Amino acid sequence: MVLRIAQKEITEMIRDGRFRAAGAIIFTLLAGALLLGWQHYREVSAQHSAAQRATREQWLGQGKKNPHSAAHYGIYAFKPKVPLTMVDRGTDPYTGVAVWLEAHKQNEFKYRPAQDATAVQRFGELTGATVLQLLVPLLIVLLAFNAFSGERELGTLRQLLSFGVSQQDLERGKALGVAAALGLLLVPAALIGVVALTAGSGQTDMIAAIPRMVWMTLGYLLYFGAFVGVSLAVSAWASSSRSSLIILLGFWMFNGLIAPRAASDIAKAVRPAPSAFQFARGIEKAMQGDGHDSASERTKRLEQGLLKKYNVDKIEALPINFMGARLQDSEDHGNEVFDQAYSRLWAVFDAQDGVHRLLSAAAPSLAVRSASMAFAGADFPQHAHFAKAAEEYRRSIQRVMNDDLMRNASNTGVYLAGGELWNKVQPFEYTAPDAGWVLSRQAPSLTILALWCAAAAMAAMWTARRVRVYLT
Amino acid sequence: MLEANALSKSYNGTTALHPLDLRIEPGEIFCLLGANGAGKTTTINLFLNFIPPSSGTAKIGGLDVVQQPLESKRLLAYIPEQVMLYKNLTGIENLEYFTSLAGGRHSKAELMGFLEEAGLARTEADKRVGAYSKGMRQKVGIAIAIAKKARALLLDEPTSGLDPKASNEFSELLKKLSGSGAAILMATHDLFRAKETGTRVGIMKHGHLVARYSTSELGHADLERIYLEHMHD
Repeated sequence: MVLRIAQKEITEMIRDGRFRAAGAIIFTLLAGALLLGWQHYREVSAQHSAAQRATREQWLGQGKKNPHSAAHYGIYAFKPKVPLTMVDRGTDPYTGVAVWLEAHKQNEFKYRPAQDATAVQRFGELTGATVLQLLVPLLIVLLAFNAFSGERELGTLRQLLSFGVSQQDLERGKALGVAAALGLLLVPAALIGVVALTAGSGQTDMIAAIPRMVWMTLGYLLYFGAFVGVSLAVSAWASSSRSSLIILLGFWMFNGLIAPRAASDIAKAVRPAPSAFQFARGIEKAMQGDGHDSASERTKRLEQGLLKKYNVDKIEALPINFMGARLQDSEDHGNEVFDQAYSRLWAVFDAQDGVHRLLSAAAPSLAVRSASMAFAGADFPQHAHFAKAAEEYRRSIQRVMNDDLMRNASNTGVYLAGGELWNKVQPFEYTAPDAGWVLSRQAPSLTILALWCAAAAMAAMWTARRVRVYLT
Repeated sequence: MLEANALSKSYNGTTALHPLDLRIEPGEIFCLLGANGAGKTTTINLFLNFIPPSSGTAKIGGLDVVQQPLESKRLLAYIPEQVMLYKNLTGIENLEYFTSLAGGRHSKAELMGFLEEAGLARTEADKRVGAYSKGMRQKVGIAIAIAKKARALLLDEPTSGLDPKASNEFSELLKKLSGSGAAILMATHDLFRAKETGTRVGIMKHGHLVARYSTSELGHADLERIYLEHMHD
């Protein structure tokens, strides 16, 4: 019975020119977005690996110089693109993808396309995620808003019920029909996506991306399920197709356009983050010391400590290079300052995330956005994960340089190191967290989506059982 | 087959149907006459369980329509003033869909047979119903009733707006169905058809069934006169 109803729904939808047109538009946009994403991914990852090679070659080929000059010369670290960023670029355009690793400083990330973008572009970028989060729900609304109200207005609802069809079967059949119609669009699009992924990233990366892909797909399916349920419930409950459409478009706009902006504004208001300027100023102040422990005092302390340790009376008599020791000491101090500043900043971002998560109970679009960008590998926690790895690498370079200074440079003459030392610095290797790592953070989002989906299905069943044949 | 026991309906204090007792046996065609708002459609909707009764019971084949909503409907076919069909499906697809919902499985040839029995031309059956006339839609409605082997039919002004020929064909089909043992309750304004087709007529006014006659006792002129007398306040 349910299958028969679904089958009829699909036949009708396929024969309906409006569905064909809307479906064709959305399919084209989705396929187009995936192909654009694929191209973007290919270009960016080619640029990244070229730049990564170039920065390594520059580092190795920098000739003879003082290790500390080399530390200033620095290295760029590039955040590797996870293949699924083809679908969802997440926060990458805002957080940046490259960082310069140099002496003394934990730098901010560079190459943030959002810096060069106008405010309007926030709405304009066509990615798979935009289509999936914004346009597919709109299509669901258009397919389902008159599922019940339309049949009531047409008079076929009376006839259906006069055959002894149970309302719940009707509901299930209609849900299945909408799902199948969506499947007709999304399954081919997904296949294109998988082919593009494989072509863009190679088979190994593709296979590695499968767990993330599965979870991302699950998130979207739950999101679509919630929309189908809500649409059918409203359609059964509303007094007319007109009001059903208006209510559902309102729900769609709230989810797609209002909630994301409102949520980030609320999160910012509740847990304000310092501006980039304030943050830099804070670090600068902490670096200079807070009055009772200035840089010069620290140098003095280090000097006395070393003189005592090696039992000599002046710097020139030390068996190690004082410059190297002082640099590493200032590095250690800087690291403490950076660790504190960044952990404070990231704790604020974490808190904002928490606010976001709470709000996503009210709008499933927030949960799906968060899950989508997380499984695409482009959310903030994964950015921070990379930033930490890059910073660890920077610190290891500094340690290698300063150790070399300490051990090999004299306290009087000029000291130059060469290729042998540069080679001691291993190339930067970064492994992005696996799907399990992401899942442990995204469990709340997926739970919220599952709850929305279940609640919407229950609401649809409940309203269907009470569907009125006449509105009197 | 169709049975109302003290069946009544009121909306917020206004009584749409005063307690009604009615039995329609297999082979009978009971025509409900009366002005708009007299309670004819309310009676039919109560049998369909589209609206809950305020008191009393409606039974189809002995099954209470409120207690056993799905089972009682298995015995039933309903033809409204306008049989509504899905415009993107063909006549035969509509029939196939509706009969399959009623639990029947029929081959395409059988379905075509039902449509032919209901008087729909073979060439029309494969056209989408968007372009169907009202008469053709009503024929699909009858075909559904035939396919379902309905033992009770509820008809709500099924012939209003049909041309005399189509109306006549429709009446012939009803006679055939009642001849094969269906109990039929039909609300209508067409006194002529009621006399021709019906075995009994009932006149409703302000929610009361004020009079019942066997059509064999009446001439055409009698029925019209009696009807008008009742309508006169």
